[in-house]
Amino acid sequence: CFFYQQSSLRQLYGGADKTYLFKQKHYHSNVLSILKFVFGPCALQALDLVDQRSVTCLSSSSGRKAFQVIGGSGRLYTCFVSCHYCPCPAFAYTVLRRNEGLLCKHILAVYLCQAIGVTQQESVSDQQMSTLLSGTVAP
Amino acid sequence: MSDILTVVFRTFMSHTGLKTDLAADPPPPAATTRSALVVGDHSVSRSVLLLAAVTAASHLGLRVMFFTRTQIQSLPASLQKCVPSLSPESLKFLFSFSFKKIKFSYPRTVEELLHQIASLHESTNTSPTPPSLIIVDRLEGFLRGHSELHPGEQSCAAHLSALLCDTAAFLTQVLEKRPSSSGPCRVIASFRSQEDAGQAGGEPSATDPVLDILDRYFQVRCTLDQDRGYEAAAAGLQQVWNIYLSGRGIADASDTKDCEDRPAEAQEWQLLIYPDGLMEFKVV
Repeated sequence: CFFYQQSSLRQLYGGADKTYLFKQKHYHSNVLSILKFVFGPCALQALDLVDQRSVTCLSSSSGRKAFQVIGGSGRLYTCFVSCHYCPCPAFAYTVLRRNEGLLCKHILAVYLCQAIGVTQQESVSDQQMSTLLSGTVAP
Repeated sequence: MSDILTVVFRTFMSHTGLKTDLAADPPPPAATTRSALVVGDHSVSRSVLLLAAVTAASHLGLRVMFFTRTQIQSLPASLQKCVPSLSPESLKFLFSFSFKKIKFSYPRTVEELLHQIASLHESTNTSPTPPSLIIVDRLEGFLRGHSELHPGEQSCAAHLSALLCDTAAFLTQVLEKRPSSSGPCRVIASFRSQEDAGQAGGEPSATDPVLDILDRYFQVRCTLDQDRGYEAAAAGLQQVWNIYLSGRGIADASDTKDCEDRPAEAQEWQLLIYPDGLMEFKVV
């Protein structure tokens, strides 16, 4: 289901001129409607994060990657490249505990930024990457 | 991931135990799934994990990372008696060769476990060869300890499971770039639900909230269910366990084209445990 959505998102935002989407209000409103229908309230929140360029792809020398998202409160959330997980309270409650959502706004923002090519890039050391992935304090 | 478990079950199907003649064995099925969760009694599941580690190292030449909180004091009897014809020195050499490919790690807390798994991408762990099999024994022991990172077990379980899957995906990419690829990287973990622990002879429960979280990330569930019928005692067996392979990883494997050319993997097995501790698997 998640992979189908990722493919659908790419189709929504695909095309040579990605700014077309934001200039043509009719198409823009259709895209918003689709996102809201599929992802619910977190769709608009995720788009806010996209507008703020809140998603960064971290890379280490080993080749390991992770996404870091600046949340609305300014807190940093580390998300994985290959599967869904976010340390935010919304993921823990709505997705895991209540099973009422597929993902949180941070994970959706990652997909959207990747789809339209506005992900920031940053390099970190292997040790920093390990600390970020584990969520632990560096020794 | 059911491919390695199936290799384990087939390897220990008879009293001859671990087979040294690799040429006589059919090649293992192509890996279509990468993560499996062994659910049930922890002493039996630990034995299965150890058999998987040794089988992967000796049969398939894979490098294995084995994480557990408790020191391993003894090997399953099936390994100790695997090749009766070999002398103790030869057996010791065989195990020495196998165990050089297995690295045991004993994190005490879930934080330590998370950090050790997160560090597997570092060069100290990928040289000379990245691990192709990651095993975590008794997830419940890590998840039910106090964690400063996560307010609840579900969040902790999701973080640990996602990290395992993401790490395996990364190591798969590294392995597939190597000339002598031994990818993909697979994950096997064991878990005993609180319902299992509290019910003597009860079936593994699907209502454990932590188990529900783990099922999101692990493609295959290998359920161990003790058979408490009279047949076991009548046959002189110590214990009989029914083994069921289920999950989307099994469904996906049955849909692949390869299955048209080779028999489908058996999804039900039985584990017989003899009074001397010897373990024997058979297809149901």
